Amino acid sequence: MSFAGLVVHNVWARKMRTALTAVAIAIGVMTVVTLAVVTHSLRDTAVAVLRTGKADFTVAQKGVSDLLYSSIDQGELARIQAYPEVEHAVGALIATTKLGGNPLFLQIGLPQQDLTPFGVTVIRGVPYAPNATNQIMLGWRAADSLGKNVGDKITIDSNTFTVTGIFSVGQVFGDSGSMLPLTALQANERKPGNVTLAFVQVKKGTNIPAFRKRIERDHPELATVQTQSDFGRVDRNLQLISAADQGATVLALVIGAIIVMNTMLLSFFERTREFGVLRAVGWARTRIIVMVLGEALVISLLGAAAGVGLAFGATRALQQLPDLLGILKPTYTSTEFWRALYVAAGMAFIGGLYPALRAAMLSPLEALRRE
Amino acid sequence: MNDAGRHPCAIEAIDVRKYFDRGIVHALDGVALSVERGEFVAITGPSGSGKSTLLHLLAALDTPTSGTIRVDGEDLDRIKDLNRFRRTHIGLVFQLHNLLPHLDVAKNVQIPMFGTHRSHRERTERADVLLAEVDLEGKGRRLPTELSGGERQRVAIARALANDPSVVLADEPTGSLDSASVERVLGLFRRLRAETGMTLVMVTHDRDVARTADRIVEIRDGRVAADTSSSAA
Repeated sequence: MSFAGLVVHNVWARKMRTALTAVAIAIGVMTVVTLAVVTHSLRDTAVAVLRTGKADFTVAQKGVSDLLYSSIDQGELARIQAYPEVEHAVGALIATTKLGGNPLFLQIGLPQQDLTPFGVTVIRGVPYAPNATNQIMLGWRAADSLGKNVGDKITIDSNTFTVTGIFSVGQVFGDSGSMLPLTALQANERKPGNVTLAFVQVKKGTNIPAFRKRIERDHPELATVQTQSDFGRVDRNLQLISAADQGATVLALVIGAIIVMNTMLLSFFERTREFGVLRAVGWARTRIIVMVLGEALVISLLGAAAGVGLAFGATRALQQLPDLLGILKPTYTSTEFWRALYVAAGMAFIGGLYPALRAAMLSPLEALRRE
Repeated sequence: MNDAGRHPCAIEAIDVRKYFDRGIVHALDGVALSVERGEFVAITGPSGSGKSTLLHLLAALDTPTSGTIRVDGEDLDRIKDLNRFRRTHIGLVFQLHNLLPHLDVAKNVQIPMFGTHRSHRERTERADVLLAEVDLEGKGRRLPTELSGGERQRVAIARALANDPSVVLADEPTGSLDSASVERVLGLFRRLRAETGMTLVMVTHDRDVARTADRIVEIRDGRVAADTSSSAA
């Protein structure tokens, strides 16, 4: 029998307790992994909005609670367009509305002349007219799901539009939405003279980080976003979700550790005599510590494995919630699984350390005298 | 066990005292004892005389209030790693065998071998050999609860011999056994001693059991009251 085998055997010998503890840990790990997947997915969705345009970076209003609440005056947009480093700066008004089964149908208001710089390819039909108020283009995914084609009518928020073209921006979120003239969407949304985001393409050779800093220095009310990690600067909701996610991880870790400690302490009281025997036959204290921590780790890993499985189920269930339909597109990355592993290992170490130390510090004689 | 170069005395206790309750209870009060290598010594005495306390001190499970104990020539008070010393020099047999109930017999025998140089395979093979030596061949996969009291005690003896100790200390090893099992365990001790030359110190309150030893040391009120050869007792 190997030492690892002994550790596993000790866990296996107490099946019911192991199972109950593992279930409790699994629930904690499930919470952590599900929240991580959801946060990741929401972040991906939000970032997808920023990447709808073919931009080097995006400019938004700083510190808004939600990206879509960002508001940039078109005068400010013109000042950004005036920087010599800028090749194109496309201002887009972005709104969402409920359409069919999609609670967040994306509408992008964009001047017709900016369609090409924005990276829009019209794959069927023609673009909308520059000043049209009742023309719209649909992303090819939206057209497919809505069963619409060029020439069809579509009613959005009591406004009826004619579909002039079907477009592709090469990105799921954008291709699932619509585009219409900026002025038309500004009128419908009662936001004249405002855009939500500015998508900036710089000239070749521009030092992008330095240029972003310059824009932020010149326009303190604006923030530039290039990567996912920048995203929190313009979307406090996501910051809050990320904070809640981290808080839940810590909470799950603490609760899990308490559960593990409870189990291992119960085990310690039951096995006092056993620890006494081990000490009496010459086991070193460190070996007993490693054994008890190893047992805690095995239980925690069993819980983690079950927790990851439960997290798949929980994420699928969340996807079915009406408010999250179309928004939550879970992506399972190794990060989530590593986190489950860290949390499980943390639970084992924090929860197992005290019982392990108590077992190791037992006097063999006292332990052998206990019933 | 190779005695070459070893100290002639397996065990020496010099003026050993052990007080409990802040000195109120004198469990041992100046015990002097010397056990030669290969000797079989029985320590007897009435309940509370201090015989088990003495055995625990010899086993390095406890420390004396004062006095010196040497095992294999090494002063226990000067040994930094007593766990290691116990593992490599001393085999312990308890009255209640103290086998781990969730481990099978072979695994119980292997337990003291963790932390030694022996590989997994060597531990397994050694356990099989030891079980054969105590006449429990083929019972390695059984749980302790599936064995009789005498068989369990023989497993405990096999466990005590796992690391080839020079000294085996047994605390009332026959105390909870029926007479047939007592005979078998004592016979085993005699045979193992003859085969391996191990030093055996056995605490017992049973005079008949004590008479199977070479020497009987009687403890009374924490002192050596008599030290006689078995034939004279």
